[in-house]
Amino acid sequence: MKKTFALTVFLLGAALAGPANNSLVVGTSQEPPNIYDPWNTNNLAITSEINGYMGAGLIGLDDNGEAYADIATRVPSIANGDYKIVKDAKGDVIRNSVTYSIRKDAKWSDGTPIKIADFQFWLKLENDDRVPVPDREPWNRAKITSTDADTFTITYEPPYLFADQTSPGLAPSHVMSAAWNAFDAKTKNEKDAKVTNEEWKKFISAYTTARNLPKVVAGPFKPTAWRSGNSLTLTRNTNYWGQPKDLDNYVKTVTYRFIPNTNTLKVNILSGQLDAVGTVGLTFDQGVDLARSERGKYKTYFVPGAVWEHIDINTRGQRSKDLDLDDPRMRQALLYAIDRDALTKALFQSRQAVSNSWIGPISKLYKKDVNDYNYSQSKAKALFTALGWTPGSDGILQKGGKKLTLNFSTTAGNTTRERVQQILQSQWKAVGVQVNIQNYPSSVIFGPDFLSKGETGKWDMAMYAWSNNPIFEEGNLFKSSGIPTAANGYSGQNNPGWNNAEFSKLQIQAKTEFNQADRIKLFDRMQTIWNAEVPSLPLYFRVNTYTKVPGLVNYTFSAYTQYPSWNAANIGWASKGAVEEYKQK
Amino acid sequence: MGTYALRRVIQMIPLLLVISLVIFGLTALQPGDPVDQLVFGNSNITPEDIARLRAAYGLDQPWITRYFFWLQQAVTGNFGYSQDFGIPALEYIFQNRLPNTLLLTVPALVISTLIAVPLGIFSAVRQYSVLDYLLTFFAFVAVSAPVFWVGALALYFFAISLPQLTGGLLSLPPGGLGGDVPPEAGWLAVTLDKLKYLLLPLMVLMLREIAVTMRFMRANMLETLTQDYVRTARAKGLADRRVLYKHALRNAVTPIVTIMGLSIPGLFGGAVITETVFSWPGMGKAILDALVTKDFNVVMVCLMMLAILTVVFQLLTDLAYALVDPRIRYS
Repeated sequence: MKKTFALTVFLLGAALAGPANNSLVVGTSQEPPNIYDPWNTNNLAITSEINGYMGAGLIGLDDNGEAYADIATRVPSIANGDYKIVKDAKGDVIRNSVTYSIRKDAKWSDGTPIKIADFQFWLKLENDDRVPVPDREPWNRAKITSTDADTFTITYEPPYLFADQTSPGLAPSHVMSAAWNAFDAKTKNEKDAKVTNEEWKKFISAYTTARNLPKVVAGPFKPTAWRSGNSLTLTRNTNYWGQPKDLDNYVKTVTYRFIPNTNTLKVNILSGQLDAVGTVGLTFDQGVDLARSERGKYKTYFVPGAVWEHIDINTRGQRSKDLDLDDPRMRQALLYAIDRDALTKALFQSRQAVSNSWIGPISKLYKKDVNDYNYSQSKAKALFTALGWTPGSDGILQKGGKKLTLNFSTTAGNTTRERVQQILQSQWKAVGVQVNIQNYPSSVIFGPDFLSKGETGKWDMAMYAWSNNPIFEEGNLFKSSGIPTAANGYSGQNNPGWNNAEFSKLQIQAKTEFNQADRIKLFDRMQTIWNAEVPSLPLYFRVNTYTKVPGLVNYTFSAYTQYPSWNAANIGWASKGAVEEYKQK
Repeated sequence: MGTYALRRVIQMIPLLLVISLVIFGLTALQPGDPVDQLVFGNSNITPEDIARLRAAYGLDQPWITRYFFWLQQAVTGNFGYSQDFGIPALEYIFQNRLPNTLLLTVPALVISTLIAVPLGIFSAVRQYSVLDYLLTFFAFVAVSAPVFWVGALALYFFAISLPQLTGGLLSLPPGGLGGDVPPEAGWLAVTLDKLKYLLLPLMVLMLREIAVTMRFMRANMLETLTQDYVRTARAKGLADRRVLYKHALRNAVTPIVTIMGLSIPGLFGGAVITETVFSWPGMGKAILDALVTKDFNVVMVCLMMLAILTVVFQLLTDLAYALVDPRIRYS
């Protein structure tokens, strides 16, 4: 019997996925370094996606960007009194606070009730210098005070703009406290940060790795097996309070398969080995290819995302001045000279919307009626002429003996970007701009000596992407204080070096504008200024490509939720009785 | 011979120290470091955060200082933690990656040698025959075809076309490590499951190995067959079989010892492209990923292991010469 089974499996190829055994097999091209690290000391998308199956928060956001209560009994708001804003005599907001009540049935996967202590423990470590969290915003100014056994208030002073849309993390203090105390005693007087960091790794790896899976979790699924380099299996956490009513109708296990080569991932989809693909995996081109070969076996989706593809124009240093890149008219001319509509049509079947702002259309702050910079060679040429650039005998624009020759860089090996580059290069050539393509590995482009050091003149134009969360938009990308300099440790994101006093003033104002309508007005003006000066040439908002097998329900995401795991509890197969709540938009 | 071996072992120590210094230096001098990934794209990060992270990762010190810290730890057996996997680098390599690689590379070397050596001999003995031409043609195709292309073709054929042609009866899985069968199903089922996943990458890896070893064996054999002592043996009226297998073959096989000896460190290094195409989590992929993500401790463990294996097997190969060739003496 055993032999027959073995032979059958051998002949049939890989495991049967999907509704047959009410499981879900998801393919992805990346493996997380660790999972369910409450302090997120790595910031990879795949980690966030997988953590979504195991995690629970006080509140969450759904596909429409609406908040819902998870561990908390209700969503805090000004109307119900749980969200409070305190102003001084001048009317300036000086602090704000959010009150949460923990549900009575909120438990860790081992059955231990979730308590305020778990949030306090998390906050204490988040703000501890020995814990290598990348940044502590806004938790470095947050304080937790408990009202009763299940109710606590978190106060932000200075105030935090998005206090009602985010919530503090939590960590199982009943599991981790003893080990933390041992770590604390061992490293209290340690001068060498590297030694402390090794001790931290020892501490955290005892709860987050393939060898030491998280001992307890709070979310709908808990990890049961992680075969490094191959797969991670999660099973239902029956202690999760938010499980659907007819639990047997929903998937019992979720298995992530790590397939680093995206072409191999594609073969896995075509051969029916996967029920779905995660958000980290397929490229747009592969999505288009897969859409052609569906044959009812799976469906391909292109989800509008929050990733903004653009070309930064370097306005810093003598070279930029000589080339007039620090003059808005030059940047406008470069933008008029390229046909972005034709580009997205040719390369992306018009699925990736052309943008004219760094803010995405999904955001409430998005301003629609700005100049759309539709392709116009005549406008481009007029602007070049106004700046004093005239065509030379070779057709290349020149001024004062200098040719308009620009170095255009992007991440080498990214075929989509390299194709875009070639199209744009020929379009700019048509108006007399000579563009030299100079690409580098991403480790160089995003390294310490390239984008952030524009004044060295290493690049004139650089194409890359930012991920702009539609909820937490602060206008940071183009604020003056965000220009990377030695003084700020080259930590800002304003790589073009664009310095606009009015924009920066409005950006600072918007950071403390708690009235949404007034905030929208400020961003309206900021986008008008930005659109007129175009410090970066906006290209398009990327879509996120994935596939799933028909009949798999509630496996959806949006630019708000980012990962299909946001609604993990309700993922299931229609054929098994799972009820569809959310459709993929 | 003993004195010679001891002298060589003592010489290895400064050599390995220099190698470790060069590897560490080159890795450290690459642009970027693990903190860049945390900094880039984070608008909330402050200069203080960057300084704190750099100190935690030891990146606030010059690379030579970091090297001596690493060396000091390494001699006590502490190779640090993997930045990417949060576990000791040594454990990550020796438990998670090396067994997978050996499972792929050792059978590939053994089986391909067993196939290639007889084919090479046959090809030499029957020089310019139809079969020799066919084998030569196969060898050139196998050596010239890029591994990623052959791998992709194999994947498409065995994982997509074959099941379509056979109505789903025959197929091979499109990459991965297996594990579809629970241990309760018994050893046979588990082994067959593993074998099913191993088959494709093994075939692709062996294709090139067979071609190279076969051509090498053919060339050696042809050269040996023209030697005076072979002619003498034939003139003395020895049977062809005896001349071939008793006299020529033993001498023709000697260089294969060199090839085998020097191939062994390569077995531990994994096969980057094959592992990548077939999602086989082995050493090759581990080294590549560690270099890309600047996981210094993993890079050091991998490359030092390969350096040690290379010098050790170089010595063993030299010593093996003395055993197979009576003309070589280390005294």
